Amino acid sequence: MLCEKCQKNEVAVHLTDIVNQTKKQYHLCKECAGFHGVSIQAQMKKHKEQFTLPEFYSSPETIMELSDGEDGGTNCPDCGMTYSRFRKEGKFGCSHDYDVFRTDLDELLKKIHDSNQHRGRAPGRFRKQISRKVQLTQLREELTQAVSDEQFEKAAAIRDQMRLLESHR
Amino acid sequence: MSNSSFNNLFVGEWLSGEGLDSDLVISSRVRLARNLPDIPYGNVADDRQKAQVADRLQDAIDSLRPGLNLDTVHLEEIDQIQRQVLVERHLISRELALGSGPRVVSYDEHEAISLMGNEEDHLRIQVVKSGYRLEEAWSEMDQLEKALDGELQFAFDQQYGYLTACPTNTGTGLRASVMMHLPALVITGQIEEVTRAATKIHLAVRGLFGEGTEAQGDFFQISNQRTLGLSEEEILAGIASVLPNILTYERKLRVELLDRKREWLEDKIGRAYGILSHARVITSQEALEHLSLIRLGVCIGVLEQLDLEQVNRMFLFSQPGHLQAQGGHELPSDERDTRRAAELSKILREVR
Repeated sequence: MLCEKCQKNEVAVHLTDIVNQTKKQYHLCKECAGFHGVSIQAQMKKHKEQFTLPEFYSSPETIMELSDGEDGGTNCPDCGMTYSRFRKEGKFGCSHDYDVFRTDLDELLKKIHDSNQHRGRAPGRFRKQISRKVQLTQLREELTQAVSDEQFEKAAAIRDQMRLLESHR
Repeated sequence: MSNSSFNNLFVGEWLSGEGLDSDLVISSRVRLARNLPDIPYGNVADDRQKAQVADRLQDAIDSLRPGLNLDTVHLEEIDQIQRQVLVERHLISRELALGSGPRVVSYDEHEAISLMGNEEDHLRIQVVKSGYRLEEAWSEMDQLEKALDGELQFAFDQQYGYLTACPTNTGTGLRASVMMHLPALVITGQIEEVTRAATKIHLAVRGLFGEGTEAQGDFFQISNQRTLGLSEEEILAGIASVLPNILTYERKLRVELLDRKREWLEDKIGRAYGILSHARVITSQEALEHLSLIRLGVCIGVLEQLDLEQVNRMFLFSQPGHLQAQGGHELPSDERDTRRAAELSKILREVR
C-alpha cells in the first residue's frame, strides 16, 4: 500500500482521527507522517499519559522508534531494571521492581486490569495486616459520612477506633 | 525420564473423556504464577540463580510427600522430542520448552498437577481436570498453593498482590481456562459471536495450546484476562457465568444440524472417517480437522464404534512429538505425515 500523500513510499502509519464524532483514516509513509507532525514518537510524547499500555502491545516499528529515545529514570537497585526497559520488554526483572516503579505502575495496572488493588487471597503472614487496612478504609469512609451528617459524637467514636487500630501496627 | 515412559499408552487424566459436559469440554485448568522474593525473574536471572530456584522448588516438593508424590524432570537434560511430548501433554508451556538454563517440571502420575520451575516466573502451578470441573481443579490448587507457600514464602505486596514477571499476571496470578470443542458453532459461523461476547467481559478466547496460539480443529480455550482487582472466586465465577450459555448454544446447534441437515452432516463425518482410515500421508493440521468431525460424530451418535477416550488418544498420538517419541527418533516432517496416517488408520481399522 502506498502513502496517500506522496504516492511513493510504503505506508508506515495508519492514523485514525476522530473529529466531531466522524472517524477519518489516513495512511501515510514515515516521511509524510513526520512532516505532518504525526510521527509515532511525537504522538507518544504528546499523549504520554494515555500511552501507558506496555509497548509489547504495540507494533515492532513503534518499539524500534522508542528504543532510540533517551532512557532516563530510576534503576532497580537489585536487578538494574529501568522503567523504559520494562516497558520495552513487558517483563519485570525482580519483585523489587514493583516498589521502585510504584507511581508508574498504579496507572499501568489500572489500564491492564481496570484496578490496581489486589482483592484475592494473601499469604497467611499478610492476612492480619490486610484486614486492618480494609477496616481502616471502611472506618475512614464512615467517618466522612458521620461528619457530613453532623453526627459528631459518632465521628469521635470512629476516630478513637481508628487510632486504636493504628496503634496496634 | 526413560523413553519407555513416552511409549506407554497411558494418557493424562484430562484426556480420559470423563467429567461434566465432557462431550463439549475437553479439560478445565487453573494455573497460578508465583515467585520467590529475593531472586531475579527468568528474563534477568543467570543459570546459577535458576539452579537455586530449582533447588528450592525441589525442597518444597519433597516436603509435600507422602501426601503428594511428584516426579521431577530437568528439561535441559532431555532432548527436544521429549520436551515436545511434555508440551503436547500440556504438562509444560512452549515457553518452558524453548527456554534456556536450568528448567524443571514436576508432575503427578495422573498428569493432573504440574509445577513448572523457571518459566518467566519462578513457579507456575497447574491443575488440570477432564471435563468441566473448574471448581474441583481450583479446590485442589487451593490446598497445594497453601502448602507450597508455607515452604517458599512467595513474593507478595499488599497493594498489588502476588508479584509476577509480567504485569498481565499480577495480583492473583491466576489464569483459569476451559478447553472446549465447538464444531457446530464453527460450521454455522456463530463462533465469532461467542468470541465477541466473551471478549466484552474480559475473557480471552484462544487455541489449543493457550497463549499466542490460534484455534485449530474447532478447539477453543476460554480464559480470564484480568488477574488484579478480582478475587480468585470472582475470576472463576466470570468463566462460569458464560460457559453454560456457550455449551447450550453448541448443543442447540448440533440438534438443529441433525434435524435439518442430517445427511449433509453424516456425509461430512463419514468422509472424515474415510480419509483418516485410508490416507497414506496426512499433516497434523489436516488430521486435526478430520478428528474434530470424528469427535463430533461420536458425541452425536453418528459414529458408535468409537468412544471419547479413543478419539482424545488419537488427537494426542497424532501430534509431532508423540509420533517421534513412538518412533524413538527424530523424523523429518514428510516421514511424520506418513507415520501419522499409518497410526490413525491402524486405530480406526482396529475398532471397526
